[in-house]
Amino acid sequence: MKSAVYNMGYFLKEAKTLFKIDFMSNVLSILSIGLIFFILALVISGWDIMSFIIETIEKEAEINIYYREALNNEEISKLIDDIKSVEGIGDVKLVDEEESYLRMKDILGDEAHILELFEDNPFSPFIEVQINIAESDIILEKLNEIENVEYIRDNKRVLDRLYDIVSVLEFIGILAVVAVGISTLMVVSHIIRQGIYNNRDQINTLKLLGAPQPFIDFPFVLEGLFLTLIGGFIASILLFVLLNYGYGQVEMAIPFIPLPSVKNLIKAMISFTLVTSAILGVIGSLLGVAKQGEGYIR
Amino acid sequence: MIEAKSVSLVYENGTVALRDVSLHIKPGEIVYITGPSGSGKTSFLKLLMGIEYPTTGRLKVMGQTMSRMNASNIRRLRQKMGPVFQEFKLIRGRTALENVMLGMRFLGFPPKKMQEYAMEALTNVGLEHKSSSLVERLSWGESQRVAIARAIARRPSLILADEPTGNLDVDNAMNIMDLLTSFRDENTSVIITTHATHLIEDKEEGTFIRIKNGNLQIERRGEALV
Repeated sequence: MKSAVYNMGYFLKEAKTLFKIDFMSNVLSILSIGLIFFILALVISGWDIMSFIIETIEKEAEINIYYREALNNEEISKLIDDIKSVEGIGDVKLVDEEESYLRMKDILGDEAHILELFEDNPFSPFIEVQINIAESDIILEKLNEIENVEYIRDNKRVLDRLYDIVSVLEFIGILAVVAVGISTLMVVSHIIRQGIYNNRDQINTLKLLGAPQPFIDFPFVLEGLFLTLIGGFIASILLFVLLNYGYGQVEMAIPFIPLPSVKNLIKAMISFTLVTSAILGVIGSLLGVAKQGEGYIR
Repeated sequence: MIEAKSVSLVYENGTVALRDVSLHIKPGEIVYITGPSGSGKTSFLKLLMGIEYPTTGRLKVMGQTMSRMNASNIRRLRQKMGPVFQEFKLIRGRTALENVMLGMRFLGFPPKKMQEYAMEALTNVGLEHKSSSLVERLSWGESQRVAIARAIARRPSLILADEPTGNLDVDNAMNIMDLLTSFRDENTSVIITTHATHLIEDKEEGTFIRIKNGNLQIERRGEALV
């Protein structure tokens, strides 16, 4: 350990020399590792964003219950009481025609003038109900059984579709992690093995002088670590630029979609990319130094 | 320091490098091994360094029995040795000082001490002014001296020099021989192999081993007789 501390400067210098000896291969490896990590970070970001959207929608899960228009106030109050008695129901609010019209006007914004084409208010009153999304199937079944309920509009289809997208993204994410892991390990271990081969004379000399194996291997491990860390850093820069730009575009195009904070997402993704790249770099280089074939002294 | 009992070394292709070698080398002894090329001199050094193992017999070096050992035990043993290789094995792209220090980096010397010992060794071989020269810019003789400095800076118990005089002229070869033997002390043994017997004919002290066809003839002179 003491020896490792004393020699840190030497190890760093050796790692730099190893990098310079095979300069072009190392640069190309860094670029490919950077792109691989960028793709991984993109997939994971997509996965994270979709999960956030679903979580938000789940938290705000509401259904609209439409009833027969002929009902009088007393019957509507009874209907609300019946709805409240169902297990898993949160707030219940009656939205009359007027409020319904105003909400749509808000949603349409600049386009709200099209509502003026209607002579009468085209919207029907409804009852807005917050529900526990996990029990939505049972709740909907029970609500449908209540007298005077004409039609229930829920977000289930939308949520189901979003769940499907997340499942696909999750699957792609896992595939991407495995693919990135394997390809990075292969690239790093190959480049390290190449470096060991190119330096076999020096390695043999060190062995003859009695250098312990970790002393010989450490500069190669550092080289592998730097390769992936620089690759991870490049991926982080690309991700930073893309997320900052992409977020602005998405927010402008579909403002009603809830998105996680871009700062937090970038911070989390950069940490993930750098930590993953460092771990893979160390494992890859350890794999690279593990097998030294013919031509090496004990 | 070294104990060999009926040691033989036969390579995989059937070549017999050493036959039934028995000898005892004490700490502080100086040993000259001579013999024509291919006689087994280098093979003997390979046995001492754990590069090869005896095919039969028993060999002990600095208390360690040289049979199948794991790599870390062999390396630990080599750390007590100061090898001077026939082809120097200096690391290109590094200075003379860096090469000398390279042999000490894993021996636990603090950085200042390491540099001090390395400079001292370079001074001992007369190369202090070349400490910051890249080794590929040094002459054959200078490279040889850097290799010797690397061996002695480690404060070894056993200096092993394989054909250190190489193709040097007689004067320079004698200088190298004298330089190497000057590092012998009561704790440090020096073993030198050479095919140039004329360089050691007049030596009055030491153990002289002549290897021919894998067989050893041993002659002791001076203090080595005791």
